[in-house]
Parts: sequence; structure tokens; C-alpha cells
Amino acid sequence: MFSNYIKLALRNMLKNRLYAAINIIGLAIGLAVFLFGSILVDYERNHDSMYSKRDRIFTAGSVFGPDADIGVQETDSIYTSLAPLLENEVPDIEAVVRTVSIEFLLSVEGENDGYYQSITFADEELTQVFDFEYLHGDARALDDPSSIILSESIAQKFFGRTDVVGEVLTLDHKDDLRVAAVLRDIPADSHFNSNLFGDREPRVFAHLMTLETIRDYDLAENWGNLSMGDLTYMLLPADRDRQWLSEQINAVYQRHAPKDQLEFIPRLKVRPLVESNTMIWEAIGIPAIDTIWLLGFMVLVIACVNYTNLATAQSLGRAREVGLRKTFGAGQGQLLVQFLVESLTTAVLAMLIAVACLEMVIPAFNQWADKALTLNYLDVAPFLLLTTVAVGITAGAYPAYLITRSSPIDSLKNAMLKGGRGILFRSIMIGTQFAISIFMLASVLVMYFQNQQVEKSSNIFPKSNILLLERVNVDDIKARHVTLRQQLKAIPGVSEVTYSSQVPFEQSNSAGMVSRKKGDEAGSILLGYMNIDEGFLDTYDIALRSGRSLTRDITNDVRGEDAEQVNVILNQLAIETLGMGDAQEALGQSYFSVPDEDDEDPIVQFTVVGTIPDLNIKGLHNKIKPMVFILNPNFLRTASIRVEGENLSDTLAEIEQVWKQVNPEYPIQQKFLDEVFGEVYIIFKTMNNVLAGFAFVALSLALIGLFGLAAFMAEQRTREIGIRKVLGARVDQIVRLLVWQFSIPVLWSLLVAMPLAFAASGQYLNFFDDRITMLPLIIILASVMGLVAAWLIVAGHAVKIATASPIQSLRYE
Amino acid sequence: MLNLNNLSKIYRTEDVETVALNAVNIGIEQGEFVAVMGPSGCGKSTLLNVVGMLDRPSDGEYLFLGEDVAGYSERKLSAIRKHNIGFIFQNFNLIDELSVRENIELALLYHDISAKERKARAEEVMDKVGIAHRGKHRPSQLSGGQQQRVAVARAVVGGQGLILADEPTGNLDSVHGQEVMEMLQGLNEEGTTIVMVTHSSSHADYARRTINLFDGHVVTQSLRAA
Repeated sequence: MFSNYIKLALRNMLKNRLYAAINIIGLAIGLAVFLFGSILVDYERNHDSMYSKRDRIFTAGSVFGPDADIGVQETDSIYTSLAPLLENEVPDIEAVVRTVSIEFLLSVEGENDGYYQSITFADEELTQVFDFEYLHGDARALDDPSSIILSESIAQKFFGRTDVVGEVLTLDHKDDLRVAAVLRDIPADSHFNSNLFGDREPRVFAHLMTLETIRDYDLAENWGNLSMGDLTYMLLPADRDRQWLSEQINAVYQRHAPKDQLEFIPRLKVRPLVESNTMIWEAIGIPAIDTIWLLGFMVLVIACVNYTNLATAQSLGRAREVGLRKTFGAGQGQLLVQFLVESLTTAVLAMLIAVACLEMVIPAFNQWADKALTLNYLDVAPFLLLTTVAVGITAGAYPAYLITRSSPIDSLKNAMLKGGRGILFRSIMIGTQFAISIFMLASVLVMYFQNQQVEKSSNIFPKSNILLLERVNVDDIKARHVTLRQQLKAIPGVSEVTYSSQVPFEQSNSAGMVSRKKGDEAGSILLGYMNIDEGFLDTYDIALRSGRSLTRDITNDVRGEDAEQVNVILNQLAIETLGMGDAQEALGQSYFSVPDEDDEDPIVQFTVVGTIPDLNIKGLHNKIKPMVFILNPNFLRTASIRVEGENLSDTLAEIEQVWKQVNPEYPIQQKFLDEVFGEVYIIFKTMNNVLAGFAFVALSLALIGLFGLAAFMAEQRTREIGIRKVLGARVDQIVRLLVWQFSIPVLWSLLVAMPLAFAASGQYLNFFDDRITMLPLIIILASVMGLVAAWLIVAGHAVKIATASPIQSLRYE
Repeated sequence: MLNLNNLSKIYRTEDVETVALNAVNIGIEQGEFVAVMGPSGCGKSTLLNVVGMLDRPSDGEYLFLGEDVAGYSERKLSAIRKHNIGFIFQNFNLIDELSVRENIELALLYHDISAKERKARAEEVMDKVGIAHRGKHRPSQLSGGQQQRVAVARAVVGGQGLILADEPTGNLDSVHGQEVMEMLQGLNEEGTTIVMVTHSSSHADYARRTINLFDGHVVTQSLRAA
């Protein structure tokens, strides 16, 4: 019996090849997208499975207070001062491991050449918490504080082989570390490798004490520095959970944190290790992973609706067959089963195609996104089966019910063909599809225009003309700043050189409390700061609004170690916040530092000698803040070189030459400023592209569905069209008739999609300080695009029908 | 009114060539009532389709009201058809989603007259065929005879001078069939030219002239004795 049904199903599909193809392909696309989204979500939520203690490993992040205003809501790290406190006060935690990742110049002992490498400095329990795969050495590797652990590709890079235990590597040509172990390269699906975008870098681990010694850090007293990616791991015993840890850690934090930190960061958030990949999205405030799953699901819905719609329409055409079967004694139940088998068969075929697509797409995706998604059939088979059955039954249930319901005679007479309720159902389905598609389309457009805006605003700085040299505050290099600058400026293509603590588009925040009146703690405000030198304003084309630039020739312009009087430049927002009047009036006025409670530093007086306009230094979505610019020669981390003129490659070559002469022991680390911009901008661009991909699929599916339905309905009306033609209707009149039938649901869908798109886009735009203003226009544009696409599809087919000779149509029966 | 001179219609498919009309010569005067008879497959419907400009001849001349319309485009044919020719089909060919009144008005929809005038004319013609009391009903709610009456109304509402009827009584019982024939006769007495294809010799008798077709040729023509 069953095989009979399946045979019937297949034959029916062959008979109506066009509609069957539309159905199967539409479902296949929907399934492929949905499955891919599900696999991706599963992957992101299940990484680090290679570590046996994974489920007991937690990390903690800091949640910023509402007034913190630094562009993200939280970060994935906590102050390093917390770890020792936790170890003392919460003994139940088996291990607390801090990590701090910093880049150093690493070279083989004695050799002058080397590579820059990011080193993760960690407490020694790191190897206890994570059971790495050791090629050489073992978990005791960090027992000796002067150890270093290499990944195998790093070992290859430096030594050409991996059995290098005992070899010595030097940090910045100064400090020696001994290789204590070599690890197999950490696999892609580990949080150690989840760079948002960008190349995966193999890890190098060292002992945290090394960092403290080299850099004179006191990690236990650090209540001021937080860096994203510097996770603190906590290993819990099996009987303790996230809730408990959260309570414990917040209690400790409340007890020990300085008061102003508690305002800045009111609480800490605990996460199991598996959630750390998604953390960055939560920080920005975009639930990316959930959104991807939701988008995939919406696409599947559209595909299913397509199927239901078309199947419903087609089923009406098979009413005669059903009537016939009923006269031979078929019961409604049997007929239902027959039609459900048909829809299940379609679903199965669609699933097979979808899986085949995934087999091709997943490796390509892995390559592009540097991930390791797999299609593990054993694991995934139940899910696939369930989805197939669910889709087959959901999509096929209504049409099956509709057709088997009527009495035999009605079916034979095709009396149901023109059911008013059927039309309403189909209209609602089309409306839903288009509502979803247009919603997505509008969102894509909004994102696109906002991204354009962001890119445009970033052009306030000549980013393609500025070459950055990084890590120039290493002691050796710092001593040669003046020489380097002199020699660089001698190059014909170089017009300016400056040193600064950060450059535009870098997402670092430095800020300190200051007050207008000396000692006035109550009235203190947060002032962002940046260290620059005398060439900064010229290099970056920043025009003074009043006063002058800073210079090394004037003593007070330079902030030395114990300086108590410093000249500074403020931005417009700063002088307003400090109540200093307008740009001219502010010159000569002062404000004062507000040291921390336990700080014994004297209060420093800052005097304004110049003001600049409010510029969005961090770019993108950050709000402009009050900022002060100080000339402090000790914290100038990056050199910015303004290059102009025709022969860029020559100029670059000469810059490298100069560097090699001045700093022979340090390889040059250079990149253009627009790369820095690009590194953050790419997040938004990628989101846009991903959403555009989904929207494209959704809209295509909706249009395919509309085409199928339009073709079918036109076929149903062939006789009527023939009659109208006989009565004198012209081609365009017939086309208009057919197109109008489908315009109504699409127009209704606009009523739903447009307000939704407006609300959602508004949410998205809240992230940005510099927003586009023409939001309603963009949404209308998307709606029009959707409407026109729908019309073209239907009209195209309608013209073909309408130009056929009326005799064809009338003979149809 | 119309003249077919050496008119042929040949249907060609990949393997088969069918000669539906073989160089026929037929002339029909204004105000005539002509019946076309012949066995199945002799070309009666084809003849009607060509005369009604629903189909184009393969060869020969078709003069309608003096114009040779054989080479005309679909648009031109449609315009001539609209104003001059009304059709009645064996299976009525009414549109089931529209009411009786709307079905009749449909014929006027593609003329340039106002909605008010359209309604008025429809009313008038519905009264004439005796279907006004069923104006709001759907065709499926009417009996065969009533449906055909609606079709007749639709065929004449535009003031068309020529009616082409393809087996108008084929789906009707004898009583209703007779009703329809009497309606047609009435129209003819008012001056409408009627060309009717039929199988029934008793119904053919309503016509003044009968043309017999066989295998695409005109075999005989006979005139009814007054």
C-alpha cells in the first residue's frame, strides 16, 4: 500500500514537473539555510570539547555601568587583582587562572632577528585546568616561572623542528625564557582560537610572574586595567554551579573594589567556557548567534509556506481525481495518508538536496571563517529526520485536509475550485512571505547605508595616507625617537611624523577623574586622555580652534614623571563640561587631577593652551567624549607617518630602510591606518553581508513561490481569460487583471513589514552615534523594490498567458 | 455581410497535417439565419472560429463587411470582434465567479461606455431574454436553459450584428432547447445575422439556409421552403 503511495507521489511529481521542481527546490533551499544556521549555532555553543574538564571551567566578565559610556556593555575579563582574593576567600574553587596576552619580540637566543609574537602569560595552574596535547614535555611545564610553552607551528617557525625542550628564547632582546613543552596546535574549535575575524594565531604560553618581573606589573593591585580577551578561568568542583560562583565572585568584588570602580563596573558576570565565543557579540549588544538561528528559521518558514500555498492550489486541481477515488471506496483517512505521503516524499527529496548542498558549503565556509564546522551524520541524523517529517507534515497537512474533505460529487464537479476561503488562505500565506522578505530587505538596506555613513565619517582622518609603526615604546626604540623622526622626515614622500599613545579607530579607553576646582572630589568628572607629541595635529589634519599646539621647547608642555603643572589641549566637549566658556575664553584656564583614594600622588594642575573641535577619535559607533591631549614622552606607543605623493612604494621602501638603520634589532611592524579602521569595520560589514545573504534567499524563495502560484492560478483561469479575450479584452487588460490578484496580499504585507522594519532598524541604529537620517525613505525604498519584483514576476508570466490565442484557452477543457 | 473565398485552414503538428477547411467558398448576407451541419470532425467548429476571427485561415480570403481580415493582427481582430460578433457556446462558457448580471456586463467592459450605460443595457437585454429575476445569482445556480439564455444575452448586449452559435442546444433538453431556438429566431427577425452549427435537423429548420460540410468541403446548401 505504502509503496503504492510513493509510486503515485513520484508519478505526480513527474507529471507536474515545473511545480514539483519549484516545491522541492524551494524546500531544499529553506532546509539548507536552516540546517546551516543550526549547525553553526551548535558549533558556537559546543567548542572546547577536547578539554576533559570543560564543563567545570568558567570565566568571568565585567559589566559596565550605565554611565560608563565606552561603546560596549561588557567585556570578557575581570581585574587581575581578583584572582588572589578569590583563592583566599573562596577555597572551594579548585583553581583560578589569570591570563594576560601581550605581544613581544621573540628571538632565538643570541640571534638578532626575531618575530613579534603574542604571548599569553598565565598562572601555573593553566596546565591543570586545560589538558593540552603535549608533543614534548608535560603538564608540569609552568612549574618553573622562567618557562615558555610553544605550539608546534611556532616551534617550527623558530627552530625548524618541534623537539625543542630546553632551547632558549629571548623577549625583546632582554629576558630569556626556556622552552619547557611543545603542544600540538590547538584545534580550530577551541575558544583559544576564536578570533572574531582574522587569522588564527598559534599560542605561546608563559608564566605570569615573568610578566610581573619584566614589566614591573603588580597584578594583585590592578584595579584599573582591563583588556578584552585576557580571560580569568575558574575550575569548579563538580557539585558547584554557575549561580554559586556568580554569588561568590560578586561578593568578593563588592568587598574589595574601590568605590569609583564599583560605579564604573557594578557587577561581574560568570559564564561557562562554552559561552565565551558568543561573548563578544553580547558585549556589543547584538545577539548574533540567536539571530542567525532565527534568520535560518524564518527562511525555512518562507519555504514551507511556499510549499503549502502551491500544494493547496494544486490540490484543488486534483479534486476530480479525489472524487473518482472516493467513488471507488477510498475513505478520507486513506486519502489523507496518500497526500501526506506525497508531501513527505517531497520533503525527503528536498532534504537530500539540502544535505548535498551543505556538504559543499560547509568546507567553503570553514575555509573562509576559519572554523571547523562538521556535518556529523551520526549526531545529526535524528535532527534531520525530525525536521524532514515536521516540514513534510506541516506543509502538507492543510492542503491534504482541504482536498480530501469534500464530497465525491463536489470533487468531480470541481466545485471547490473557487472557494473564497481558499483564496483568503493563499493571500495570507503570500502576505506572510513578503512581509518577512521585505522586512529583511529593509534591514539590509538600512545596515548598508549606515555602514556607508560610518565609512564616510571615518574620512575625517586621512587614513589611507598614514602609515603606523607599532610598539615604539620599547625602551631601546624609545631612546631613539628623535633620531627616527628626523630621518623619516628627510624622506621626500614623508610630510609629517608623530608619536602617540593610541591612534584613531583603536578601541582603547583611557580616562581619569578631574575637577575644575582643586580638591573638589564631589564635582569631579571623567575625562578621557591621549598622549601625543608636537606633530600630532598636523599629521592628522586637526585644526586648532584656539590657542597653539604643544611643543617640547616649553617645559610645562611636557609632562614628566613628577610634573605638577602641565599644559594641555582640550576638545570642545571638555571645555564645555568643565565650564570654561568658549574656545577663546578657555585658554589659560585650569583644572586639576583627582587622585585615587589610596594614591599618594600630588594633585596636578592642567592648564589649557589650545583647543580642538570634537572629533570622533574612536570612530564607528562610539560617542564623542570630553578629551584631553597631553605631551608625555613616556607613553608614546605608535608612530604615525604621513605619506604623500606619487611614489608610495618607493617611500615605503625608504621608510623600512630608515627603520632598519635606526632600530636594527627590532623588525618593523607597520600597517596603514585604514587597516586599523578595517579591523573593526569588518564586523559591521560582515553582519551586513550575512543579513544580505539571508534576505536574498528569503526574497528569492518568496518570488519563486509567487511565480509558481501565479502560474498555477493563471492556468486555472485559462478558460476565463479565453472568454474575456473573445469578448474583446486586450493583452494589457488581461495582464492587469492577473497582476492585481496578487498585488493585494503584497500590499497588505507592506503594512506589516514596514513598521516592524522601522522598529528593528531603530534598535540597530541606536549603536551608532552618527546615524543616517533617512530611515523612513530607505524602508519605503525596500518596500517598493519588493513590490516591483513581485509585479515583474507575475506580469511576465501573465503576458505569456494573455497573448495566447483565445481558441487555445477555450479548448483547454 | 461576410465572404469566405477559397478559404483553407490546415492544422499542422510534427507528424500530422489535418485539412480542416478545404478551399471553401461561402457568402452570408446580412440578416440571414444560416445553419451549418455535418458529421463530427467535418470542420464546422473550425469554420465558426474562422468566421468569428478566433482563428486565422491558412489560405484564401475572408471579407468581413468588405474588409479582408485574413491578415489582420490580433488587436485589430479583437476590435472588430468586440463590436460586431457575439458568441454562444455549447457549454455556455460563463464565468462562475461572476453573477449573471456581471457576466453580461463583462461583454461591455471592454467597450468605451460608462458604468451607468453598461448597467442600463444589461438590464435591457436581461429583460429581453427573461433572466432579469436571476440577475444576482451565480451561473452554477441556474439550470442549463437559463445559463444559455444568459449567454445569449451576453452575445447581443453590445449590439452585435452577427451571432455565431456553436451547438447552442447541445447540452439542453428539448423544452429548453426550443426556448433558445425561439430566442434566436426572435433576434434574427429583428435583423441579427445568425450562423449556427448544429447536429439537430429539427433545430436547423429554424434557419433559412443550411450548409452541409463534409471533410472540410461544402457539399450541399439547401434552402428551407418559406
